[in-house]
Amino acid sequence: MHRIGALAGFVAGVLSLSGLAGVAGAATDPGKATAPRMEFVAPPPGSYKLQKIQRVTDAILLDSSGRSVRLSALTHRKITLLTFFYTYCADPLGCPFAHTTLAGLRDRVRGDHTLAERVRFVSVSLDPTHDTPGVIAGYSKEFAVEPKFDWRFVTARRVPDLLPVLDDFGQDVSVEMDENGHATRTLHHMLKMFLIDARGEVREIYTLSYLQPQVMFNDIKTLALETG
Amino acid sequence: MKFDSRLILSFCIAAIMSVAIASHADETCNSPYMSGLIKGQEDFVHVWTLGVPGMGDGSDKLVTIDANPASKTYGEVIHKISVGGRGEAHHMGFTDDRKYIWAGGLDDSKIYVFDVGTSPSHPKLVKTIDNLPAKSGFIGPHTFYALPGRMLIGNLSNAADKGGVTGMAVYNNKGDFIARYDMPASVIKQVKGDGYGYDIAVNPAKNALLTSSFAGWNNYMRDLGELMKDSEAMKHFGNTMVMWNLKTMEPEQVLAVPGAPLEIRWALAAGQDWAITATALTSQLWLVSRDAQGAWQAKDVAAIGDPAKIPLPVDISISADAKGLWVNTFMDGTTRYFDLTDPEHPRQTYSKHTGSQVNMVSQSWDGRRVYVTSSLLSKWDKQGKDNEQFLRAFHWDGHELTPAFEIDFTKEQLGRPHHMKFTANPPRVASLTGASVR
Repeated sequence: MHRIGALAGFVAGVLSLSGLAGVAGAATDPGKATAPRMEFVAPPPGSYKLQKIQRVTDAILLDSSGRSVRLSALTHRKITLLTFFYTYCADPLGCPFAHTTLAGLRDRVRGDHTLAERVRFVSVSLDPTHDTPGVIAGYSKEFAVEPKFDWRFVTARRVPDLLPVLDDFGQDVSVEMDENGHATRTLHHMLKMFLIDARGEVREIYTLSYLQPQVMFNDIKTLALETG
Repeated sequence: MKFDSRLILSFCIAAIMSVAIASHADETCNSPYMSGLIKGQEDFVHVWTLGVPGMGDGSDKLVTIDANPASKTYGEVIHKISVGGRGEAHHMGFTDDRKYIWAGGLDDSKIYVFDVGTSPSHPKLVKTIDNLPAKSGFIGPHTFYALPGRMLIGNLSNAADKGGVTGMAVYNNKGDFIARYDMPASVIKQVKGDGYGYDIAVNPAKNALLTSSFAGWNNYMRDLGELMKDSEAMKHFGNTMVMWNLKTMEPEQVLAVPGAPLEIRWALAAGQDWAITATALTSQLWLVSRDAQGAWQAKDVAAIGDPAKIPLPVDISISADAKGLWVNTFMDGTTRYFDLTDPEHPRQTYSKHTGSQVNMVSQSWDGRRVYVTSSLLSKWDKQGKDNEQFLRAFHWDGHELTPAFEIDFTKEQLGRPHHMKFTANPPRVASLTGASVR
């Protein structure tokens, strides 16, 4: 599909849309999201095949130490669960819910000796402007455990470095504005979590309704069983 | 040239007041477990419209109508985009983020991807997918049902003999083919599958995917009068529904539902445990629910009109609380309302003749507005003066449908209107991702 990756296109695109300001809006009310329900027994690991949805395109990001890191290095050689977040997200069914779900999965993975060294989590900040390496380093401490688990928190050097990553993963992000046109501290994005195999291919995607920990754990084990 | 990201972001935020996301669904009928439902007034109705030779440009097109009473162009066609051909435009569906609409042609099997999120008043055609037959062996893409990052497509036919044996195809949101799944033709739990397909409906809390069955290209692209006289051809309609394991994509149970079960709607509220459909040829509402042992069962729970007259129920629209159901019957041009408070015993409580022929029916999330279109299929629509082609919008106060506005698709030289989707103007947000298009 058509993509505008260049910064010039980005800025021009934004400006070209500014004419929409003042359009009478509908009385839309997105309402509160609801937590996922699970009213079934998850299929056993290895009893099904996960689809090969897409390959992850490489990019250069920043780790929590401020070092450049290739995204491909974070999506290969291990089974990876990748999600997007921002450190000041306050939506209880947004980023905090995703990270709470991941923390629970982390503990289950650590408790399985066949998985503990074969799985990593990656959390990519949606706001490189605020979420500097230092900020995400502090944020990540909440999820630190001993013995260590491979959970990387990364950001980007600048917004244009992040845009191709968001585009590749289909993450549409916008900044909520107040009535005076000032940015609020809310980013609109659809919560998605990506399960990536050790060859860098997305094999499952979880939106809020599908964040069912038992299913996710079995999916991880299913990928582990593919390679023995 | 170097750019400072903070400066860029600040600049962009300051520069704009309103941009970005938000396209929304036929609120109560498509992927309602996903985000961004319109709980209030919809701004636009998009109508996937069949081209008619000699009418306008003769092409299939996406027609956008202003549906907000507060707008100066309320009730008017404000945009149309032709796809440059006539391929039997039929159904469409939103992507998971509701930014794009995928729309299919039952004859040419092409799939068109429209960006309705960037500027819902002015959709743009951003991609055409033409490899469905080559990649899957299926033709006649009907239902487009969003899964996370993917589109699950329910097809009607196959490329080999153009009969009703078919299956589902999966594409990622970039438009790349991923997988195909045959509709079952074997016996599963005492019922033999017919291999036919039609609608798709997912209940993620139950890991359940329910499908229905209709007919192949040989039937749906044939003149209806001729078809109904051909007793052999009339045998080639679906008589089953299938309950799939969504995670494994394996069929787990075939349900006998004679008479071409069409649209499927789940009651998705917590504590609800059922789905409903209508059979076109036998004119019945069928309930799919669990029995005392937890197994799925299908049973006919109400007649729609007089089945002996074959009123041909063609579309249903369930209310947000699953307490009511609109049903359109094509032959008698009637829009009916059923009380679903007891889904085991639906009761028709209202009906209105809304046109000489009526097909799709869509209601707003709050149930206060009901939209009806007229066209079924190019070869099945009525002839002469009964070949009305319209979108009619109504207010619904719980007792009476009151006309709100109407678009005469023949007078406007647009074609035959079929499936509808709602969108709303974006909220007050600034774009972070700019003009990125998937």
